[in-house]
Amino acid sequence: MASRAPRRATQTGRIRSDGMHDGFMRHNTFQWLKIAGSISIAILVGYALIDVQPRHNGGSWYGYLLGMIGAGLIIWLALLGVRKRAMTPGAWSLKAWTSAHVYLGLSLIVIGTLHTGFQFGWNVHTLAYTLMMFVIFSGIFGISVYAMLPRAMSANRDEMTETQMLESLRAIDRQLHDAAQPLELRQAELVRSSLEQDPFGGGLLRRLSGHYPNCATRAAQAAVRQESAYKPNIDNDPLEKIDVLLARKEAMLARVRKHLRLKALLEVWLYIHVPFTFALIAALFAHVISVFFYW
Amino acid sequence: MAFIVRQISRTADGREIVRTATHDTKSIMIGRDAGSEIHLADLAVELQHASLTMRNDGGVDIESRCGLEFEIDGRSALHAAVDPAVGAELRFGAHRIQVSGDDGSIALTVERIEALSDASEAKEEIGLFTLKGLLPGRRPASWAFIGAVLLLFLAWPIFTYATSHAGEKRSAGFHADQMWSSGSLSVAHKSLGNNCQACHINKFEAVRDTACLTCHKDDAHDHADPARIAGAKDGPGLGGRVKGLFQTAFNHPEGRCVDCHTEHEGAGKMPPTAQAFCTDCHASLNTRLTDTKLKNASDFGSDHPQFMPAITVGTSPRDNRLYKRVSFDARPVEDNGLKFPHAAHLSKTNGIARMAQTMKTEQGWGDSLACKDCHTPSADGTRFKPVEMKSDCAMCHSLAFDRIGGTLRTLRHGEPAQVVADLRAFYRSTGPDRPISLGGMTRRRPGDYAAAETTQDFVLGARGYSGRADDAIQAVFSRGGACFDCHVVTPGVDAGSPFRIHKVFQPDRYMQKGWFDHNAHKSETCSSCHKADLSRRATDLLLPDLASCRTCHVGESGAKLKPVKTPVESSCAMCHDYHVDAGAPWQTREKVDRAKGQPRFNRTIASAR
Repeated sequence: MASRAPRRATQTGRIRSDGMHDGFMRHNTFQWLKIAGSISIAILVGYALIDVQPRHNGGSWYGYLLGMIGAGLIIWLALLGVRKRAMTPGAWSLKAWTSAHVYLGLSLIVIGTLHTGFQFGWNVHTLAYTLMMFVIFSGIFGISVYAMLPRAMSANRDEMTETQMLESLRAIDRQLHDAAQPLELRQAELVRSSLEQDPFGGGLLRRLSGHYPNCATRAAQAAVRQESAYKPNIDNDPLEKIDVLLARKEAMLARVRKHLRLKALLEVWLYIHVPFTFALIAALFAHVISVFFYW
Repeated sequence: MAFIVRQISRTADGREIVRTATHDTKSIMIGRDAGSEIHLADLAVELQHASLTMRNDGGVDIESRCGLEFEIDGRSALHAAVDPAVGAELRFGAHRIQVSGDDGSIALTVERIEALSDASEAKEEIGLFTLKGLLPGRRPASWAFIGAVLLLFLAWPIFTYATSHAGEKRSAGFHADQMWSSGSLSVAHKSLGNNCQACHINKFEAVRDTACLTCHKDDAHDHADPARIAGAKDGPGLGGRVKGLFQTAFNHPEGRCVDCHTEHEGAGKMPPTAQAFCTDCHASLNTRLTDTKLKNASDFGSDHPQFMPAITVGTSPRDNRLYKRVSFDARPVEDNGLKFPHAAHLSKTNGIARMAQTMKTEQGWGDSLACKDCHTPSADGTRFKPVEMKSDCAMCHSLAFDRIGGTLRTLRHGEPAQVVADLRAFYRSTGPDRPISLGGMTRRRPGDYAAAETTQDFVLGARGYSGRADDAIQAVFSRGGACFDCHVVTPGVDAGSPFRIHKVFQPDRYMQKGWFDHNAHKSETCSSCHKADLSRRATDLLLPDLASCRTCHVGESGAKLKPVKTPVESSCAMCHDYHVDAGAPWQTREKVDRAKGQPRFNRTIASAR
């Protein structure tokens, strides 16, 4: 018991160097990158050096070994979905777990591919492999956007919250509405089309591309400008005011849409990563059963 | 009688504010124009949209003033009449106007019921900036995927297995359990591609040899006594032990056909069994089978025993060939019964070469004899036919002894007794040449001494003529005679056959345990392996030894003891056959067939051997 105290003291030191503000990628000075990298290299070297007869594939003893490691890893990686619901600090913190998830998940590329022995075909086995690669690559995409997009998002937001963005749109809409009151119906319709278009509308592709070819606000502004272009510039022309308001709305929409796009990119990979993980687990199950069924 | 207009608006927290105005006129205007009695700040409404006019009977007429419709009780109309006692609901753009009678006046309750813009609508802000609603939810998608994968790739194939019966031929086309196939079958088994149960007979039971033997009745020979094989195998390494654990755990016995003949390795030929399957036992066989006569071999290039050709060592009392396997290291010589110096026959300068030149046109020879002038390949090209006197030697080594008309009479080769008989017959049926001066039966006159002498001599000669047959027979079987030139002659047993010819053996295979195919060596000349042009004695064994083969052939993965210019990687299976029979090893047969342009897989199993 007496020897415990100093050990605890050194532990505290290590945790401090761990860095509370390091992300899961750099966690504990890339501890899991080193572990997963070593595992991958060891497995690659084993694959190259071990002379499996007649050739490497999932049915050799090395193939079985890789298959078991891979399947176990897949199940463990999927358990992040359960683990993430409990945020805890420490050596087995959620951050450490996530770090391990990322790097061990990447090492699965090596483990899974070598398990196949590069034998692919139109069958349940390659299906499981393909799903696995889909999951891994969607994960890589997820990490990349997590690494790159928040900065762009923050620059775009310009310290506005989402609620503020929405409020700002609403304020512009109200002003547009008021300013359009004296207009004749034809012109009022232009403004109304801008007001009635859902700024959050458009499908997934619009969201991901940030490209909105049917933007009513832009169309309205173009029409208004066309109309006012040849008119003498008189004071208090409601159209002039509308023009300015539409320009403001368009700028605001651009910011909102960029925000939506970045946010969609940050989110969309999970819509592949998670369902495909479950598809993978089902295919993995079918793969294992089928191998033993027709043995 | 007046219009009472109640404008209802709401504060941010939803509280109602009602502003009431009374218009004591007969007609009021509804529109976006600020001068309208009912002012609707609504861009869907015209500046002067419609008028409300009170009739004398207390009813109200509503008339569109701009040609745009409005809604009354859910229908669109350009004009309408309303009885205030009954009431009505009007819709102009986003505004609703309730019309009702109120103590003789007409009450109009105006309220905006739609937000002024889409963004202004009450929105659930939490999900607003997310992909919610644009993509199927993760949880339902996951369940859908799980269901689809398990149904398609597990339940369906199991159903196929359960509903088809082993042994029966399946209908052509797709069967769901094919989705479980880990790779295409080899060409030989292609036809079984959609019939998984041809081999995988019972579920969760590894493929058994009985499945293979259903078709391979004749060609799956045993390699050796199974008990010997079991004792010959080297113990498993670490990997082998791991695999062994799996095999025991999952009912995957060892020693089955499929251990070597792996399937589902992709279309094309079934891959040849790797050398390791042989060397598992043969690399160190004598350490486990201590009584074995076989020598250890682990790789042709680096570790293979010297060849031991089966050479003739004598003749049995029944005239059969006695042979013995002797290693090349013992420098074996062989007496095959012939006196045939290869060097003399292949010389480019001696009398034989000169003779060959004179027969050039007749025989189609070159300036001297070549191997092919005497040696003829067998029909399959694998080996050479035995040399025959009549077709391969007789063009020079003539056995003619008499000419009758234009026909030559020859001694019968291979039948010494007939030779003796023929020679005796020759001398019995013919006399000595008649001298021209030999007189006829004319009366002799005195003094004609010479003629009398001739007659006397002739009669004397003719009397003893047949006795010269013995001399001729002696001559033909003795040094300088036709038989003696090539054969070993020994005294005979009786007067009928005074000489015996030593039996000649020309074995068609010296290497009984390995296979050699001349077809596969067409790129080489004869002399690159057989040093016939240097062989001065008939007893020389003109076969290439291990070192000679190793000038081209290296181990399976290129192992060699000396530098090799153009290495030919050679696994065990190139010369040896696991299921050994009289034919060529499988791999060699394939190679030769391919070289001859007849792929083996076009033939059926039955005709393959």
